[in-house]
Amino acid sequence: MNDTLAGFEELSHTADLEIKVWGDDLASLFLAAADGLFHLSGIEDYEEGFSAVKETISLDAMDYEGLLILFLEELLYRLTEDYMLFSIEKLSISTAFSLKAKLRGTQIKSYQRDIKAVTYHRLNIRETDHGYEVNIVFDI
Amino acid sequence: MVSIADLKRISSYEWEIPASYRADMRVPVRIFASETLLKDVTRDKSLEQAVNACALPGLVGSVKVMPDMHQGYGFPIGGVAATRYPEGVISPGGIGYDINCGVRLLGSRLSYQEGKKYLGELATALNQSCPSGVGIGGHHRLSSKEVEDVCRKGSRWAKENGFATDQDLRRTEDGGQLRGADPRFLSPRALKRGMGQVGSLGAGNHFIEIDLVSKVFDQKAARAMGLNEGDLALQIHCGSRGLGHQVCSDYVKSLQSAVTKFGIILPDRELVCAPMDSPEGEAYLAAMACAANYAFANRQVLSHYAREAFESVLAGRVKDWHLHLVYDVAHNIGKIETHQIDGISMEVCVHRKGATRAFGPGSKELPSEYKKIGQPVLVPGSMGTSSWVLRGTSKAMELSFGSCCHGAGRVMSRTQAKKTIWGEDLLKQLKKDGIKIQAGSMAGLAEEAPAAYKDVDAVVETVTSAGIAAKVAQLKPLVVIKG
Repeated sequence: MNDTLAGFEELSHTADLEIKVWGDDLASLFLAAADGLFHLSGIEDYEEGFSAVKETISLDAMDYEGLLILFLEELLYRLTEDYMLFSIEKLSISTAFSLKAKLRGTQIKSYQRDIKAVTYHRLNIRETDHGYEVNIVFDI
Repeated sequence: MVSIADLKRISSYEWEIPASYRADMRVPVRIFASETLLKDVTRDKSLEQAVNACALPGLVGSVKVMPDMHQGYGFPIGGVAATRYPEGVISPGGIGYDINCGVRLLGSRLSYQEGKKYLGELATALNQSCPSGVGIGGHHRLSSKEVEDVCRKGSRWAKENGFATDQDLRRTEDGGQLRGADPRFLSPRALKRGMGQVGSLGAGNHFIEIDLVSKVFDQKAARAMGLNEGDLALQIHCGSRGLGHQVCSDYVKSLQSAVTKFGIILPDRELVCAPMDSPEGEAYLAAMACAANYAFANRQVLSHYAREAFESVLAGRVKDWHLHLVYDVAHNIGKIETHQIDGISMEVCVHRKGATRAFGPGSKELPSEYKKIGQPVLVPGSMGTSSWVLRGTSKAMELSFGSCCHGAGRVMSRTQAKKTIWGEDLLKQLKKDGIKIQAGSMAGLAEEAPAAYKDVDAVVETVTSAGIAAKVAQLKPLVVIKG
């Protein structure tokens, strides 16, 4: 485990879904968390046709954990409301807990699982020898 | 991790984690469980989560946990906590993302013998008339103003639009309209998510089920509820859909800074909260009531569609196809109620997260037909197993803030269920048992397999032996519609 620079794995949770995410820096941790969210939503297969039109998102929070929630909630909202899956072209995180990302979207036809929310339950971004890791619980 | 050795035995069905267990506990935890069910809950983090919930400011009595408890996020599922109103706190995480997720039961005068040959047609008709599944909305899209109206009026909105009767409203908790709802406290996203989902079931563990009233245990109570052994009944389990999820997400986020402002220290950020007499607490209460009303309206509109499905199949073929509402209960909600705490009458906010209100006889909140018997308590089982109709007792008012269990409760993770159970095999087994299933996906079906849940009969034995509810009737599933 954790032999790749960034990634996620699904853990056992009685009723909801939990993933452990790791990355060598905060940006790669956030990107791996987004991959985890899309995986849990059941949209691994989609048409490679990301729009050339780039969208920019800017988010601000009180801390990195809050920023991670905002980021994942944004992607989840666009997925469930607009059926949009995003390729994240560029993502930067500042020490003032701001995030900026450039995204290219593609329309999806369906997804397999309704995720109700990204929770704060025991959410704690930890520094490790290889970078960062965090466990995220999703309510389903 | 809390172990069985940390528990004090109060009775065969009640256990305590004393407030001395951890320094930040303001009150003890009281667990309703048999010894067998207790072993299940020590396998996951539900008891630790119950201990965490004991840190909320303003708690009174003890934090209760029902026998169907399992690990959630923040509060355990099956948790009940009462905070003194208005100076105590309200915690969105103690109510959950699916605000006013709940169940309703509709009874009929149609016997299984007379109706059994139409069950296949009924399954198809229900599946067609009641929208269900991942990302599937209702038949009609509402304007933002109409969503606000739904949020203010709940089931009354449904009645004004031809989806409900007076009796439906009377037999819904709070008449299907929680007071204090104010859509000004909803975010634009919450309103937008509400526009397309009134009258939709969703997915996950939500379902519509045709049941057989297989056994009546309390004739007097069953008669009051219009339930007869051998007749068909219908259950609907769903909640406030995306609007409710958004309300909870919005307020768990905004209250992160409120806890710092009010100097509240918590063991888990999902438990964030605010005093109910603060602007932050008042805002959440108003938004939560909106989502609760949306859920009442949602279940009511689905009931209307189910009635239409019954009519389309059965009109002219059977004598009586009418479905009457027995009761509608909320099992993820915060309610301002009056309870006796240590002999003193007190207004409290009862957080019920995966727990059902179970008011005893004489409660002023009950409609006249249930005043003598107590509130109908609906305990759906897992797919393919029994569901139960219970009634609230005076002892529930003493021991559990008038609360009871809400279902079977999971024991197996979804990943484990999918690994060990094949949806197709399960479908075959259920068919063999004479149960007709209409399901959105095979993987989703496997996740909800009966083996992933506790034995609902054992859960019901526990609450009835503890005295917080009494048996009225057992239901057996015949047709299950899942998203």
